[in-house]
Amino acid sequence: MDDRLKETLSAMLDDQADELSVRRVLSHTEQQQVRSQWQRWHQLRELLHEGQGRVEPIDVSHRVRQSLAGTGLTVDLPQPEPEPREPTNWHWPAVAMVMAGLLVGFGMGTGWDIQQAESPVLAREARLGPAETAGATSAEVMPEIALQGLDEQQWEHLSRYLLEHAQHNSVAAGRGAVGYARLASVSTPAY
Amino acid sequence: MTGGGLSVWLKAALLGVWVMTAPLAVAETPPSEDARGWLARLGPALNMTTYRGVFVYARGDQVSSMRVAHRYRDGIVEERLVQQDGEGGEIVRKGTRVVCVLPRHGRIQLEQVMPAGPFAETFAHQLVATSEWYQPELLGEDRVAGYSVKVIALQARDGDRYSHRFWLEQQTGLLVKSHVRGEDGRVLESFQFTDLEITDALPDSEFEVQTTGEAVSRTLPSTSEAVVVNRMNGWTLGWQPAGFMPAAAPGSGKGQAVAFSDGLAAFSVFVEPVGALEMPTGVSRIGATTAYMRKLKAGDRTFLVTVVGEIPPETAMRVANSVDIEDAMAFRTKTP
Repeated sequence: MDDRLKETLSAMLDDQADELSVRRVLSHTEQQQVRSQWQRWHQLRELLHEGQGRVEPIDVSHRVRQSLAGTGLTVDLPQPEPEPREPTNWHWPAVAMVMAGLLVGFGMGTGWDIQQAESPVLAREARLGPAETAGATSAEVMPEIALQGLDEQQWEHLSRYLLEHAQHNSVAAGRGAVGYARLASVSTPAY
Repeated sequence: MTGGGLSVWLKAALLGVWVMTAPLAVAETPPSEDARGWLARLGPALNMTTYRGVFVYARGDQVSSMRVAHRYRDGIVEERLVQQDGEGGEIVRKGTRVVCVLPRHGRIQLEQVMPAGPFAETFAHQLVATSEWYQPELLGEDRVAGYSVKVIALQARDGDRYSHRFWLEQQTGLLVKSHVRGEDGRVLESFQFTDLEITDALPDSEFEVQTTGEAVSRTLPSTSEAVVVNRMNGWTLGWQPAGFMPAAAPGSGKGQAVAFSDGLAAFSVFVEPVGALEMPTGVSRIGATTAYMRKLKAGDRTFLVTVVGEIPPETAMRVANSVDIEDAMAFRTKTP
């Protein structure tokens, strides 16, 4: 299991994971491994918090998957179904998973941007004023534009520049297939 | 254990042999001279090699792959590229004639994807001259897509450009892998064949359009017709990084664009009156490609200055900040 997945699991444990991450966890090929890691951490957590609950291997991923696939904001809270096992035992993971699902549902609404901003690639800085420090070469004064933050027209405008530049480039630098790859890469949306 | 001891001795002996022979092998030719020799082969090899394969291209968090077939026969280059991701689509080229079959990708119109310039011809002879701005070095040998390759680094001599690394197939000099690297050595853009077959001949069937869909064809201008377009109407560039010269531009856009290149990297400057569309200002990066946007007031009009290129953000910003509007009235073309 890679570190990124572990990070996501850890985030889910703290109810901090975003929708994409949860989806990634759910679609991970080694579900058994993921689940056992999840349970190990939960046991640790229980120990640390002097909780008494044991964690039984229960798979709630199906329900979370369903809730993610649900339309938009109306994520139904999956009711804990009375199952033949003792309900207290699976209490924690189920709640955590449902919380993750809820958080995701919420994330689709207003709070979503904040989650995205945490990703380094999509970093969007608050300072949006024009950097009018002529000649300055420090990256710190440059406001970042998140491509994801652009609306359709703005993206179209920028990608026209990107394309035209890629065309200049295929002429100028003449790198054959690389030039084409740049072109084709622009022609597919960045997200 | 005797077996273990033996292997240790064997390793030591081999190491000894290697230590003795390595300096001899290196001493044959100065590394930079040899690197230049390989670079000189890069351009011609791109055209004159016949090959087919699949390559991946990654910039930032985007990865795409393409299948390519390339044939050089009787002085004519034939090429077919098929996108392996998304909706597919293909580009077929015979000499200067290009046919594109591309579905509408996201928000880009079909005709915009049409490459408007010749391929490797233009710059093939200029790669050697780039050693003024890049330190060439032969790093060694490696293996890519089943072929033995030479690894050549082109280290940027200043902070205004990125460093490059090329993997060239040993027999033909074909570029089979390349990196664009930042100052910290981080790979910003990479291109690499994952499957490659270098051959003498490919059948005609490899170069036929197979995707069904709306096709657009265009005849490329030949190399001699490629003009260095200088459309700096009404504005000037106060600063440009050393070594970047105005480059041939297809002139397909509606805006006032000028392209510059140092032989490896290129950037384009766009200056347009701000229309109804409100664009954010600042810097945006996709892999090695930087887009810097800035608004500029001249008289009572506002202009959007955009610098797009495979250059560091700081350089792009300096270029953008050096744009000066001389004559606001020269901008007659309104952006849609």
